[in-house]
Amino acid sequence: MISLESISEKLGITEPWIEKGGVHWLTLGATNVRALAKTMNEIHARFITITAYQLPKEEGFRLEYHWDLNGRLLGFSFQLASKSIESIYDLCEAADWIEREIHEEYALDFTGREYEPLLLRQGETPGVNLRDVVAAS
Amino acid sequence: MSYKIPMGPYHPALEEPYKLDMICEGETVIDAKLHVGFNFRGIEHLAETRNHIQVIALMERVCGICSNIHTLTLCRAMEGLTGLTPPPRAQYIRVIMAELERLHSHVLWAGIAAKLMGFKTMFMTCFEIREKVMDILAAISGNRVNYSMNRIGGVNRDITDPQSILKMVEALEGEMAKTVIPIFTTSRTARSRCAGIGVLTNEKAVAMGIVGPVARASGVPQDLRKDAPYAAYAEMEFDVPVQPDGDVRARLLVRALEIMESCKILRQALAKLPPGEIHTEGEKFAFITGTSTARVEAPRGEVMYSVSWKEGSRNPARVHVRTPTFAVMPAIRWMVQGARLADTPLIQASIDPCYSCTDR
Repeated sequence: MISLESISEKLGITEPWIEKGGVHWLTLGATNVRALAKTMNEIHARFITITAYQLPKEEGFRLEYHWDLNGRLLGFSFQLASKSIESIYDLCEAADWIEREIHEEYALDFTGREYEPLLLRQGETPGVNLRDVVAAS
Repeated sequence: MSYKIPMGPYHPALEEPYKLDMICEGETVIDAKLHVGFNFRGIEHLAETRNHIQVIALMERVCGICSNIHTLTLCRAMEGLTGLTPPPRAQYIRVIMAELERLHSHVLWAGIAAKLMGFKTMFMTCFEIREKVMDILAAISGNRVNYSMNRIGGVNRDITDPQSILKMVEALEGEMAKTVIPIFTTSRTARSRCAGIGVLTNEKAVAMGIVGPVARASGVPQDLRKDAPYAAYAEMEFDVPVQPDGDVRARLLVRALEIMESCKILRQALAKLPPGEIHTEGEKFAFITGTSTARVEAPRGEVMYSVSWKEGSRNPARVHVRTPTFAVMPAIRWMVQGARLADTPLIQASIDPCYSCTDR
């Protein structure tokens, strides 16, 4: 079984893994999401999902990526400086629908990919922040 | 010359909202595009307006088939934020409820698959069997669909008569072994309708992060009950059925064999049901600030809940639900490519899709 430390080594990270709330978390520092996805592919981890958090006031968004590695749940958090992040769809087909859903729910842009027919708001403008829409209504 | 056939948004097999636009050449499907979201309910957002009791009732309604699994996963995530640990009897009852739910879900699917194959008699047999499971679920919980069994720190109702459930398990096992499995495995019609149809290769299943029986039918030996045991699953002995072919028949066999394994688990859990409390009694609890994540093996595969809370807050700050059909459904595009048009309803049904879960 692949050790968590060997994953840190592959990513070039010296920070320790922290187990919290049922997840093994690793602080990625400057590592970007595509390098992470490539490493997850190399170790044959299974992509599970991305969870989007809209932070209070003007703090923006946080995305948490989860992979499964032989029953261990791995978590990686990305604070978004802008409303976009690179897509990993071409590296990880499993991320397709959740990237589309987050795009449509939060108006976040996953760069480097095209959005196919809408998932949640068929016939309407894609990429709106549904929370803002609800708040405004 | 190619032409497009839109199937849906009323599903031909499962009477649920979903659309598949298929590009065909003659009778052969060349490519397909899926459209979901017709019943998007914004449940995740709604959860942020509910307290820790109300949110359980809300999330029980994410799915009409595996409602218990959703509250189990949610409660496990909330237990991570409160520090409450359910007593051993509650852990066993959670296993019993989860396996009964798997039974009625798989038998329901077997009935629908039989109907789509043209086996109306088998459809009736499966629904008769399922009714027995539903009766047991109703006898335990008082409800047929939304059982309201799970709470933070345990379960709401006890199982007072394990013997009656054992009798049902024996009857179900007998009927499955005598009638359902032999017909599904040996019938020429079942074979011709299912073998080599709607293939999802092992490589594609791995690349797409497919979960549950669909993954196991493509040779991916993955089951959270084994890989990351929860409740009392670590104390149960059972096998994880895996088939290599990745076709509709493999999915049929995996679910049929899982019914037998569920019976095996139920026998053990009922025999070993420990005495004691069914929930943490009179223990005050408070939510800490943070996020807790829990995963459970639902009838269709992995369900994952991430729950965030701020200390002192009445409601969760965020509840994210990743349902198994959301992970599996994109694979339909690859399953129908090269298939005959007439086979596509059965192929779509073979993933046992839940549109309610997908739309949330």
